[in-house]
Amino acid sequence: MTILSTKNLTKSYGKKTALSQINLEISRGRIIGLLGPNGSGKSTFIKIAAGLLVPTAGEIIIDGQPPGVDTKAKVSYLSERTYLNDWMRVSEIIAFFEDFYADFNRIKAENMLKDLNINPDDRLKTMSKGTKEKVQLILVMSRQAELYLLDEPIGGVDPAARDYILNTIITNYKEEASVIISTHLIADVEQILDDIIFINQGELALSSSVDEIRETHNKSVDGLFREVFKC
Amino acid sequence: MLAKLIKHETRATSRIFIPLYGALLILTVFTKLVMAIGAPDFFSEAVSNNKVAEIILGISFTLYFVLVVAICVMTLVMIIQRFYKNLFTDEGYLMFSLPVKTWELVCSKLVVGLIWSAVCTIMIFLTFFIFSLGNFSMMELTQAIRSAYSMFYLQTGMELNFFIFEMIIFLLVETVASILMIYAAIAIGQLFNQHRIVAAFGAYIVITIALQIIMSIFMTVFAIGNLENSVLNGSDAITTINWLLNSSTVLNVVMGVGFYYTTLTIMKKRLNLE
Repeated sequence: MTILSTKNLTKSYGKKTALSQINLEISRGRIIGLLGPNGSGKSTFIKIAAGLLVPTAGEIIIDGQPPGVDTKAKVSYLSERTYLNDWMRVSEIIAFFEDFYADFNRIKAENMLKDLNINPDDRLKTMSKGTKEKVQLILVMSRQAELYLLDEPIGGVDPAARDYILNTIITNYKEEASVIISTHLIADVEQILDDIIFINQGELALSSSVDEIRETHNKSVDGLFREVFKC
Repeated sequence: MLAKLIKHETRATSRIFIPLYGALLILTVFTKLVMAIGAPDFFSEAVSNNKVAEIILGISFTLYFVLVVAICVMTLVMIIQRFYKNLFTDEGYLMFSLPVKTWELVCSKLVVGLIWSAVCTIMIFLTFFIFSLGNFSMMELTQAIRSAYSMFYLQTGMELNFFIFEMIIFLLVETVASILMIYAAIAIGQLFNQHRIVAAFGAYIVITIALQIIMSIFMTVFAIGNLENSVLNGSDAITTINWLLNSSTVLNVVMGVGFYYTTLTIMKKRLNLE
């Protein structure tokens, strides 16, 4: 079963092409690493899938539909930006998510906050950047979505929290849901990935399962990445 | 979903306005009390012998004036800032990934902006009413209103209620159109890759100039001829004023619809958050 597929997906900003002719099929029940150097088009791809950007050409289908209100209800998107209002308390943001997303699980969110020692009555204004990112990830992972789009989920947090977060990701999604993680911290996420997608300068460089890579290239994903994207 | 958006929008804005209006009411009541107790003749020419009360009143009226101006400015700033910051900066990443339609985002901001504009007007009238308490009798007021109605009918042959109704519709449409014009300018600013705020200001100025030109052409072609014919007297004058009022309303509706669709199209097709 396919959760996301693209056909000749292209996005350009003026003259600059950010994504060019991407053809992909992403199955359900997988954790996919979307890997590539900075500025390779990872965020653009995720933003299109999240419905924040409109493709210039080609198409993208999520669970049978192009991005819109219906897909947004099934897709849980973690942006690279901290998008939470500074003046809100964590508990108020939880209420906000609960109001708009039918699949939001409050108990799950509260448990995760407790695990990471975050007080729900704290205002975001008083939090460090790393803590804000944790709150955001907790909110996103507390949804029972069909597809999770995580744009740089571990970039700003400490290694201990990184482990907790990765653990949360693999234990929190439904069996038939998929998780797309975009990152350049490959060594950290490699252990949890089922598939990888390499993109470079807006083009699909490689799409394969992690097992295949280990068999055919006899390398770790990190090793292969360093080879493919050698500067 | 529109109702939920409006609810959260109201929550986000009222945390600023409720303290402001609370302060305004407290200040108004305080001023009124000082006036009633210490200087009942404050507004008349008579020299008061209570210097302390006069000084306190001087200060509180200054504060009142500052607060009213601050609230009016804040209302406008809020209309701009909630649309720009909540939708087109980092917060936009959250708002645009909610399972809501784009028009619902625009309308939730518009409705709440309108509500606060209305609250602003009503609250200022309320403070006037509080200030003037005790200075008029209800009976005199009703009599004055009744005579105004009959005078108006006598002079113009038109019901005053109907004219007030037209006036309210005009003000409503005018406010909606001017808010949508701000939205359209902000959305146009988003089409640029850099300096989007500057571009939005630029767009606003260009739209204003374009509208000025259209309006003056419109006035020259239609209105002036009519005004000359009916040299502002009696029923002819009111017909002209009426006609001007209603055609301005229609024009504002047309402009408002234009601004609305411009904003919506840009947000749907050309959205590109920084």
